[in-house]
Amino acid sequence: MLTRLHGVRHSNAWIFGTMLLSAGLSLAASFVLSVDAWRLAANPGTDLSCDINAVISCGTVGSSWQAQLFGFPTAFLGLMAEPVVITIAVASLSGVRFPRWFMFTAQVVYTIGVVLAYWLFYQSMFVIGALCPWCLLVTASTTLVFATLTHVNIRDGNLPLPPRAQSALRSAVDADLDATVVTIWLLALVLAVVLRYGSALFG
Amino acid sequence: MGKQARNASRQVRHAGAVAAQRGRRLRLLTGAGAVVIVGLLVAIVVSLVNAAGSSTPDRAGPQKPVVPPATATANGAVAVGSATAPVKVEVYLDYMCPYCGRFERANGGELERLVAEGTVRLELYPLSFLDKASGGTRYSTRTANAVATVADRAPDKVLAFNNALFARQPAEGTAGLPDDEIAALARSAGVSADVAKLFTDGVFEPWVAASTEAVLETGVSSTPTVKINGKVFQGDLFTVGPLTQAVAAATGR
Repeated sequence: MLTRLHGVRHSNAWIFGTMLLSAGLSLAASFVLSVDAWRLAANPGTDLSCDINAVISCGTVGSSWQAQLFGFPTAFLGLMAEPVVITIAVASLSGVRFPRWFMFTAQVVYTIGVVLAYWLFYQSMFVIGALCPWCLLVTASTTLVFATLTHVNIRDGNLPLPPRAQSALRSAVDADLDATVVTIWLLALVLAVVLRYGSALFG
Repeated sequence: MGKQARNASRQVRHAGAVAAQRGRRLRLLTGAGAVVIVGLLVAIVVSLVNAAGSSTPDRAGPQKPVVPPATATANGAVAVGSATAPVKVEVYLDYMCPYCGRFERANGGELERLVAEGTVRLELYPLSFLDKASGGTRYSTRTANAVATVADRAPDKVLAFNNALFARQPAEGTAGLPDDEIAALARSAGVSADVAKLFTDGVFEPWVAASTEAVLETGVSSTPTVKINGKVFQGDLFTVGPLTQAVAAATGR
């Protein structure tokens, strides 16, 4: 039973299926955020009020400078990056093997994306003081995409690592330590949200 | 056994030892990970239970009595202007709400004029639902309580104080102004020092909480909400004109 589970977790179908699903969720959330940003820009009067029951009250996350870091809505980055991940996942599911340099580049670019997603998450939680559910979905699904991409790249030896590090990481993944790390990571995220917004969630 | 074979078998044994050591380390890490996961789950459940417990209305400890300010309406507003004015305008606001600030900047002057000439009886609902957006300093409650105090002791200064608070409105999500600056703003609006120093007593905080609850139950779901003679004003709140016209139309009837 456990070995079956272990086998499934390391199968291409599971890894790329999870990647596909998470990238899809992330794309959907980015799309919603982009439409919101676009609407806000087209007509600043769309929703100029503070919702009494919402955790995110005044739509201030969408119009903050953090949400426009590069002069355009940051959610647009998700619209650009996630379709590439979806393509990788679908192609890999149908048996395509990408060259090492390609997967390594994907890993580097996506790592930057994850850092950006967490920076935004931190800003919205502790600086802007508002939590938007779509931003949270982006954060969680970006984490899962990153985890699956890293998993597959360690498994297939796509990262330019010294042999010792590669073999250590490889056996850690074989022992499912990466799953443990991701679980801890996501639970820590949940705990942060509950601690910060628990009372508002029950408001 | 040849030298090569011996070397090879030593290497195999060495590799085996490394693998065994690594296996032990990985099992240890997995165990530690499991402990952390269980700990996180417990922490999440505990803080969820805490959060659910603290938001129930009957929390532990004696409740302060609800004292309404002298000019309060039964619905939880503070009233400004003549009781016989033909038009009643109700404004639901939170001093932390940025759009309420925009509304005040656009229409505050007009409302003040309409109140002064006796056309409008203005009822302000200073709400506290944005308390969560001031980093724990409860800026909304502190300001609403200050306004209620002025409404109680110096009702003719309410509009000037309301205006002063929005003129110095802090950004949403910041700690807001400290108590002494709120008092200084009241002084600048013509409130006496004796009244301004009552703010920190928080006498009207229970009333603010109670009227915020009451307003929620009437179906008002966001701020700013403006009602003219009891009907929600749907026009543009952030430019001068539409509200004045709507008030004029209500006077005609």
